[in-house]
Formats: sequence, C-alpha cells, structure tokens
Amino acid sequence: MSDESANLSPAARLTKWLVSGPPFIFLLLFFVAPSMIMVLASFRYPGEFGGLAPIAAADPNILQGFTLETYQFFFGDLIYSEIFVKSFLVATATTLICLLLAYPLALLIARSPKTSRDLMVLLVILPFASNFLIRVYAWMIILGPQSAFSQLVNSLLAVFGAGPVHLLFSPFAVLVGMVYVHLPFMVLPLYTNLEKHDPALLDAAQDLGANAWQRFWRVTFPLSLPGIFSGSALVFIPVLGMFAIPDILGGTGDMLIGNLIKEQFLGTRDWPFGSTLSIMLTIAVLLIAWLAAKFGGSRGRYA
Amino acid sequence: MKIYCHITSDLAGAFWPPSRMASSYIREHRVPRENRTSLYVLCVLCGLWFVLASTYAHAEDVLHLYNWNNYISDETISRFETQCACRVVQDYYSDNEEMLAKLAAGASGYDLIVPTGNAMESLIRQHALRPLDKSLLPNLKNIAPAYLNTAFDPGNRYSVPYAYTLTLIGYNSEKVRELGLPVDSWAVIFEPRYLEKLKGRVTVLDSQRELLVAALKYLGYSANDVNEEHWKQARDLIIRAKPYWAAFNASSYIKELTVGNIWLVHGYSNDIFQADLDAQKAGRKFRLLASIPHEGAVLALDSMVLHNSGPRPDLAHRFINFMFDGKNSAELTNLIGSGNPNRDALQYIKPEIAQNPTVFPDRAQLARLEMLRDLDRHQRRVLSRIWTEIKLR
Repeated sequence: MSDESANLSPAARLTKWLVSGPPFIFLLLFFVAPSMIMVLASFRYPGEFGGLAPIAAADPNILQGFTLETYQFFFGDLIYSEIFVKSFLVATATTLICLLLAYPLALLIARSPKTSRDLMVLLVILPFASNFLIRVYAWMIILGPQSAFSQLVNSLLAVFGAGPVHLLFSPFAVLVGMVYVHLPFMVLPLYTNLEKHDPALLDAAQDLGANAWQRFWRVTFPLSLPGIFSGSALVFIPVLGMFAIPDILGGTGDMLIGNLIKEQFLGTRDWPFGSTLSIMLTIAVLLIAWLAAKFGGSRGRYA
Repeated sequence: MKIYCHITSDLAGAFWPPSRMASSYIREHRVPRENRTSLYVLCVLCGLWFVLASTYAHAEDVLHLYNWNNYISDETISRFETQCACRVVQDYYSDNEEMLAKLAAGASGYDLIVPTGNAMESLIRQHALRPLDKSLLPNLKNIAPAYLNTAFDPGNRYSVPYAYTLTLIGYNSEKVRELGLPVDSWAVIFEPRYLEKLKGRVTVLDSQRELLVAALKYLGYSANDVNEEHWKQARDLIIRAKPYWAAFNASSYIKELTVGNIWLVHGYSNDIFQADLDAQKAGRKFRLLASIPHEGAVLALDSMVLHNSGPRPDLAHRFINFMFDGKNSAELTNLIGSGNPNRDALQYIKPEIAQNPTVFPDRAQLARLEMLRDLDRHQRRVLSRIWTEIKLR
C-alpha cells in the first residue's frame, strides 16, 4: 500500500483521494458514527420519557451514567434468544425458497439469446417501480378470505376433506411476502454470475461424457457458488431485520426481531434496550457473513 | 392508521453500471445549443419563482398544525383561513409515539399539537409546552367541566380538550345476532367459550397498552393498575385467547370489518364509526356497531397544546378559540364520529351521532371509562417483555 502510493504522482494521489474520499466520509458519517452512538446508547439508562437518561445530572436521584443492565436483561431471559432463533429460521427458509425459485429463472435468462435477456432482466426488476408497501398490501387482497385464490385453495382442500384455512395473517402469509419481496435480490446476482460462464466448459464436459445432470452439478453449480452466496446474503440479511411484512401480513404470533427492535424505539421508548437488540443482531449478521465468506469464499475461488 | 413511511433500500440500482451508462449517455446525447439556451432560461425562471414564492410566503401568516390523520374537516380549515386571513399548514401523525419520537428527534416549528393525555403528560414534564393565555379563549366556557382539569394537566395550564375516542368492542350486527354473542363484556374477546364461534374472525389492537388494559378491565382491575402480578394474569388471559384471534391489528381492521372478513374487533370508536359508514356506502346488509363493555374501557382525550418551538402562539390561540365554537367543533364529530367535549356543539351534530352512546356516553358509562396514565421506564420495559412473550407463544 505505502509502496504503491509513493509511486503515484501528486495529481494521481489527489484524484485517488477525491474519488475515494466522499464514499469514505459518507460511511464514516452515516455508518460508523451512528453505530458508535448505538453502542454507547446500549450502555445507558432509558430516559423517563423515551430517549436516554443523562450521562451526568446534578440531581443524584436521577438515573445517570453507564450500566450493563440492558445486557443483563437480554441474556437473563431466554425469550429474546428464542425470537432470534425464530427470525433466523424465517430468514433461512426465505433464502432457501428464493434460491430454489431464482436459480432456474436466472439460468433461463442467462441461457436465452442476448436480445431477450435485457427484457427479461427488466421484467425481474419491474416490481421495484411500485412502492414496496403497496406490493405487500396487494398480498393482503390476494390472500384475503374473499379472494379467488383463497377460495380456490379452500375448495381444493374441501375435495380432500380438509377444513378451510386462513391464508392471510399467518406465518405462511409472512413467508410468501418475504419471498415475493426479496426474490429479485436473488435472481440478479445469480444471473450476473451465470451469464459469465463460458459455454465451452459445458461442451467440454459433454465431450468427456457428462450427462445433463452431471454438467449442471459438476460444472455450472460450483461455478455459480459466488452468485449463490451473494444472493443469499442480499436476501438473508434484509429478511432478518424486516418488520413491515410481519406487521402487515402476520397473525398473532408473527413477531420477528425487526418488530421487536422497532417497538423498543416507538411504543416502549426504550432506546438502550433497542440498541442492545440491534447490536446483537449486527453481531449475528457479521458472524454469518464471516462464516459465508470463510466457506463460500474458498470454495467459489475458482469461478 | 399506522402507515409505514420507510422505503426499502432499492438494491436493484447496485446491479447496473451507472457511471459508464451515464457518461456514454452524455457523449451520445449532446444537448443542442439552442436547447441549452432555453434550459438556461428555464433555470432562471425557476429561480425567480422560488424567490418570489418565498417572499410571498413570508408576507403571509401561517399556522403550523401537527395533528392526527383525518382529525379535522377541510371546511373547518378553510373557514378559519378566511377568518384569520392566514394559512394553515398541517402535518400529520398516526400515533402518539410517532409524534413524540419526531419531536424528540428535534422537529420544531409546530404552533399547535393535538396529543392524547398520556403523551401530553410526557410533553408537559419535558417542559416542551407553552402555557395558555385563557384571556384569549373566551369560548372555553363551552367545554364540559367533565373534560377539564384532568390529572394530566391540573388546572389546564397547558392544554384544552379537542375531542375523544373510546377503545371498545366493535361488531358485525348480523353475525353477532346469528351467533347470539354478548357484546357488553370483554368476555367475548377473551373467553374461549365465545371465541370458539368466532375463530379467525376477531382482531385486537396491535397496541401493548390497549390490549393489556382490556384484559385488566376484564379481570376487574383498574386500567392504570401497574401491579406486575395483575399484568401476568392479564398476559395469561391474552395468551389463552390468542389462538382464536385472527391478528393484532391497528389499521386494516376497518377494511376487514367493512368487507365482512372480521366480525368482532377490539378497536377505536371512530374507526368503527368509519367502518360502518363505509359498509353503508358499499350497501352491505349488516351494520358495524360498537359497545362499551360493562367492565369499563379506555377514554383517550386529545388536547390542543402549544409547542415551545411554534413561532405563532397568537394564531394558535385564535385557532383554539375558533375550534371551541360549537359549529366548528361539531364538524369534526360529524366527519369521523369522535366524542365531543363541547356542550355548544351538540345542537350541530347529526342526531344519529348525538344519540349514539359510544360517541356520547351517559353519566353511568362515563364513570366506567378511564384515561391512561403514562408508564415509567421500568414498567414500559416489563410491558414490552410481556408483549414479546404474548407474541411468541
């Protein structure tokens, strides 16, 4: 690094700073600083009306200073670990379903003639043109008990003698919403990966006697692992923090970690505990990202 | 209504190479010279417009009102604008927490806010409000004494009542009659023997406090009971009833009631009123009615207060006095079915609303209604813990 910058001319060095400076400052201001504030907040007492209790107050009767109480509260109670586990299960299920749905689609787009590819990618990202919440609210109508879809499902169930089911306000509705919203985030990285594959490799595999399944499993799939990992990260992490979909489509038991955190900052007005939960979530996500990089990175290196 | 104002990070953009695209676009689509001239002219005109618009706005008197969604009629606003030769700029919130959070984050410039009792108490104790000058409010005499001098603001130093809503049971008249359910008790929300007939057709408010209080009331405790043992009993009651409920819901139950998907709700009086209006408009065969359980319920009194940061307390006082005029105050009740503390307003209120006991409870019912006090930080954390358990079990 230092050798490299020593070789640069002053103008080039200035350009380098000008180019990398703004994003660096942006991250410092809007990521590092808020994270630090959050870490500090998690060690403080909640304010009487929300916000934070003062670090130092003249009146000794006012709660002040720093404390580990939020962490004791978090670890002293299994229920919070339970909600983490539940959120991770939902995020994992969403990621797997997205992967199963997205892979064939991405493969199809990547193997289509060049002229139609752009159109197909456009179609994948087209839903972004309308607001995310409107699309989630639309699912309320689709899954509602009066909808054609619900009635079809229930009449099919009736044929098999099963009772009618409520689709809306259920874990199923939450999962559908999660998959629906995050599917493009899986398709796009997979497609960008699959598109780069050299068709000659498949020809070579065929010449060497590999059948269609072997060609996929031993050539295409390993090469697409980096795409799978980046797609999975793009789905898994937002799902973990998602609170709007469980709020809108969920029933009486569909609280995820995102809902709990949101609630700490609004209804409960308990910023320190909200910060603690956020930090725990961040640590969990970083842990997963690290594991993914460790395993995904080494296996996907030959792509 | 709870509306999420956040937008998911639109990661799609990350997959395009924007810089390359942009530069090639500029290379290939040079703006012709004559068009550039007109572009400059346009820019200058825009700038001029901004300058003129801002000077014009400065010359004008503006009242900044921070109010609930749909909590004043447009006619009332325009009448006040004509009367005071000023402009009213409204900003909206959909729950007290949202409003408190926005103010805590430093929002300022609001002359007038309309918080509910417990939120107002918190604002008063934070010294965020400006004391009222009663000499500027001659119409204050119209307000019924029952709604003055509340525990939140003794002597009404900072606040005067605006309107109120009740938290009660709303129901589909047809279905309740068919199933023969009693709607005058919280039992219908909490007792499995009734809920069995209503499985998947009941929603309760997605509010920790409101739901807890409904359970406390059913158990015979005060709404402001903070005994943790009682809270645990309420929690167990809620967990036992939960499998029968369709959802915790704070906004879409209005629509679900109107459509006929949901037959019974724990909800706000003005929401149920709205649902009934919608159902009648849609020509449904059923009515959506409300009832105050005999165990008691919550009355949420919203008050007008002046925020410290408001630049125009003079206009705010004029507005308050204007709203205390019976006719103006009645318009709100006619619009959304909110309760009205104004004695002078009754003559202007539609008779079917004026006779509705869930909008204007009689003395005996009024005695059973309670206003919620704010919880302290420890109680809030305990309640959140209970809520998490309720949602997870």
